[in-house]
Amino acid sequence: MADYKELWTSLDIDLEKHDQLCAVLPEFYGEIYMQQENRPEAMNYYNFVVSEIHGYRVQELADMRKDGKKVVGTFCVYVPDEIIVAANAASVGLCAGSEFWHPDGEKVVPRNTCPLVKAAAGALVGNTCPYFKSCDMLVGETTCDAKKKLWETFAEYTPIHVMNLSSMKREQDYINWQGEIKLFKERMEELTGVEVTAEKLSESTKLLNDKRRALQRLYETRKVANPPISGKDALLVTQIAFYDDPARFTQMTNQLCDELEKRIENGEGVFEKKAPRILITGIPMAIPNWKLHHIIETSGGAVVAEETCTGVKYFQNLVDESASTLEDHYKILADRYLKTNCACFTPNTSRIDDIVRLYKEYAADGVVYYTLPFCTTYAAEFKAVKEALAKENIPVINIESDYGLEDAGQIKTRLEAFFEMIGNK
Amino acid sequence: MEKESKSFVLFPSHMHGLSLERKLKENGIKYAISPTPRELSSCCGISIMISSTDIEAVREILSENPGIKTDGIHTINRQAKKRFFDF
Ligand code: SF4
Ligand code: SF4
Repeated sequence: MADYKELWTSLDIDLEKHDQLCAVLPEFYGEIYMQQENRPEAMNYYNFVVSEIHGYRVQELADMRKDGKKVVGTFCVYVPDEIIVAANAASVGLCAGSEFWHPDGEKVVPRNTCPLVKAAAGALVGNTCPYFKSCDMLVGETTCDAKKKLWETFAEYTPIHVMNLSSMKREQDYINWQGEIKLFKERMEELTGVEVTAEKLSESTKLLNDKRRALQRLYETRKVANPPISGKDALLVTQIAFYDDPARFTQMTNQLCDELEKRIENGEGVFEKKAPRILITGIPMAIPNWKLHHIIETSGGAVVAEETCTGVKYFQNLVDESASTLEDHYKILADRYLKTNCACFTPNTSRIDDIVRLYKEYAADGVVYYTLPFCTTYAAEFKAVKEALAKENIPVINIESDYGLEDAGQIKTRLEAFFEMIGNK
Repeated sequence: MEKESKSFVLFPSHMHGLSLERKLKENGIKYAISPTPRELSSCCGISIMISSTDIEAVREILSENPGIKTDGIHTINRQAKKRFFDF
């Protein structure tokens, strides 16, 4: 088998601890993903990416760095990748989805921090994630309190640039975000020595819009009566979008879509005909957080869309490609990125409009509202979402769960009851 | 409990794996790229899962394509037990 020990050593990875992580993944992935029947053949590419998760792409990043390119790690869909790519750098999304990193994380952040932040902290300080170790700079943003404080901890370990995101969407907040994008551009130029011109920004916008279009095309296929791809496979594709090479990812995802569209023509779906169609809304799911999708889809449900950052929030809005000056680019980017409706904003009623719209677009039968413990903003918004959905007669269930699997059986029982209720409607 | 047996082709590097993948596609043999099971190798990376009934056909392809190096074809007879979720 491929031996990446040298690569990992060069990145200063704690090999022994890292090996414990590698020991679990094949079986975990095998149980969740490889047991599915009638998977699209093109999912083999994504199987490949996961199987080689700490090898192939990490090697690619190491080779890029040898050639003088920089790698930048991000944590939020408000951070514009266009700037990173225009500076000839690679962007990797670093959200962490396993409780494996929690013990190390708890050494530097409070125990009662959300699992996402705790895992990200542990992945960095425990030296067990080669992606963190491949980054020349991290980019934080002032979204929730847990993340804001995390950047201060990270700054002790690694170079980091923090973007000041307002928590409102007034005119001055748009202007502020334009200014932040400009500052970020300057910081990237400093890091890479590459001048970010309007022309390069137009190119990176086009490249990343193509990626978004491929993901939009994928999600279109989930709207049909019996979707040709499972929810967990679609989730995996979106998760991989955050760190794969954008051009290759777009090509492979379009190939997958070719196959899926053929399946639709042939009336081939992966679910039981009567499976209740589920829209998930809530916090992002980072690899390997496949728990909720797995429980839903082994309980007779079909996940048809995610109103999350590892779902439509990532790609539903394209960036206008008409900018010709730097000032145009800042404005267009700010407008596009502030369209995202995160619970960190106040007020955030547009998120409710999104949920209702997606529910209809994807012909869903019910909504699963997913939160992580200690995530105040998303937990708090449940009440308003529930009331708004009740007015529309849309059934919703709230699932708060961390990365552990102890509560899987209990969640399954609750979901089965929920699906039965929807079915009897 | 039901027994399932699956065969895995292991490789010294992913490049060989992807070369074999191309050949399997050409020959219409069903396969899936899969993480290498821990009981077969302690290094992470890809393997190719095939049906045990196709082993001979795969061996033939390999002998026709000596450029594709493998670390053997291994079959695991595993109780169909679940380790992470009991459903
Ligand atoms: S949930 Fe909010 S803070 Fe988290 S990635 Fe999404 S937009 Fe950013
Ligand atoms: S899940 Fe909530 S608490 Fe955790 S990082 Fe995201 S917004 Fe912050």
